[in-house]
Amino acid sequence: MKQEISALMDGELFEDEAEDLLDRVKRDSDAHQNWAVYHLIGDVLRQPEHIHCDLSAKVRERMRDEHTVLAPRGRAVKQKMRAVALSAVASLVAVGVVAWMSLQIGPEAVPQMAMQQSGLRPASAQIQPKSNDYLMAHQEFSPSIDMNGGASYIRTVSYSTDEK
Amino acid sequence: MRMCVAFCGLLLAAANTYAGERQVSLDWLKTVAFAAHQTDYSGVFVYQYDNHVETSRITHVVEPDSEYEKLESLDGPKREIIRHHGHVWCYISHRMVQVDSHQGHSRFPSLLPEQLSTMDANYRAKEAGMERVAGYNTQVILFQPRDNLRYAHKIWAHTDSGLLLKAAVLGDKNQVIEQYAFTQLQIGGSIDRSWIGAKNQAQHDAEPSTSPELAKGGTPTNSGWVVDALPAGFRKTMEIQRSMRGRHAPVTQIVFSDGLSAISIFIEPADGDEDDVDGLSSRGTVNLYHKVLDKHLITVVGEVPPRTVMQVLDSVRYNGR
Repeated sequence: MKQEISALMDGELFEDEAEDLLDRVKRDSDAHQNWAVYHLIGDVLRQPEHIHCDLSAKVRERMRDEHTVLAPRGRAVKQKMRAVALSAVASLVAVGVVAWMSLQIGPEAVPQMAMQQSGLRPASAQIQPKSNDYLMAHQEFSPSIDMNGGASYIRTVSYSTDEK
Repeated sequence: MRMCVAFCGLLLAAANTYAGERQVSLDWLKTVAFAAHQTDYSGVFVYQYDNHVETSRITHVVEPDSEYEKLESLDGPKREIIRHHGHVWCYISHRMVQVDSHQGHSRFPSLLPEQLSTMDANYRAKEAGMERVAGYNTQVILFQPRDNLRYAHKIWAHTDSGLLLKAAVLGDKNQVIEQYAFTQLQIGGSIDRSWIGAKNQAQHDAEPSTSPELAKGGTPTNSGWVVDALPAGFRKTMEIQRSMRGRHAPVTQIVFSDGLSAISIFIEPADGDEDDVDGLSSRGTVNLYHKVLDKHLITVVGEVPPRTVMQVLDSVRYNGR
């Protein structure tokens, strides 16, 4: 299923196969989630500056937990309600701006955003320093060493801010 | 009829130039690989990926016994890598943190003819003009992959020596994923060699104290693990059993290559505290994907797109010895 979704996203399926798969994705929530995850992964890797993150489900969930204000209707109350509504809109906008800004700030923000969404693992994090041994072990057998020489080892020891 | 013949002739001529150009580009690759091993040079290069830029100095000298190479970081904490005779020493802030070595000390000549024919099956090579890099004239060569399971590579080779002065890896939208470029370079001439002897001494001093950590070159093995969905054109170049730092049990490493990039698969017994390892991470073109499978921790590392490392890991299985 995952492979089919990946193939579909790469435009490698025939039209009838694609339609069939899309139907299944619509019905099956797991598949739908895979679909979303694959897109998120793709977006993060291709355009880190430009990530589409669907927060609506999360917002809807939080809204459901909010208390409903029950009060007699009145002009004053209406006014107040409007003020509340406006400030709610303003804070939502602010949340949006903050979310957008955190996306702009740096790659570190990306995994966090992904994590918040239904407890997913980070879509694409920086390679952890503890995994450097794998990189080093891999590097020696990579053809890039023939062309770039030792310069390709820079990948292995590259200094990144989260390596502190 | 005559028109038809003329047209066929034209087609043939076009095909010939195409084949010729392809051959020229592959010849360049051989020249680059040769120059990388046989030239004395010293220079400063910039390495860039995502929004990360780093400057390093590299010195490469050829001595009668073998090549010596030193890579030092000029930004951030001081890191240094020395390569000599199949050994790699890694120092961070003057403290040796890692030693790596592998069998088959001299892999030169590195690009074998069969590797070049593999290359041709996986990439379209073409010359893409002349450009000036770090004050030298270079030939630009583009390797466009024939599928979307690998990246495109663009290289700038010095027209006289063949040294690689700039290299970029491009994604499927032609965006730069990572690149190296020399900003200053001295080819030949008098290059400082004083560090060679000093480092040799340091190596001898350091080796006994770190021997438990020393990763020895592996022994060839046939582990019985197989990959079903390997992208076309990747061939197994190595399967070894090796020790790795901080691991009690030996780790099996299987390496596949398509001529320009490689995929390594590491297989080790899962010791129970890997619940947090699943997932994908990346640095520049290198993608790493971990997963626990049948009580084994499988790690796939390669200079290939994320979809490729995921596809490879998802198709790894134990086939029995």
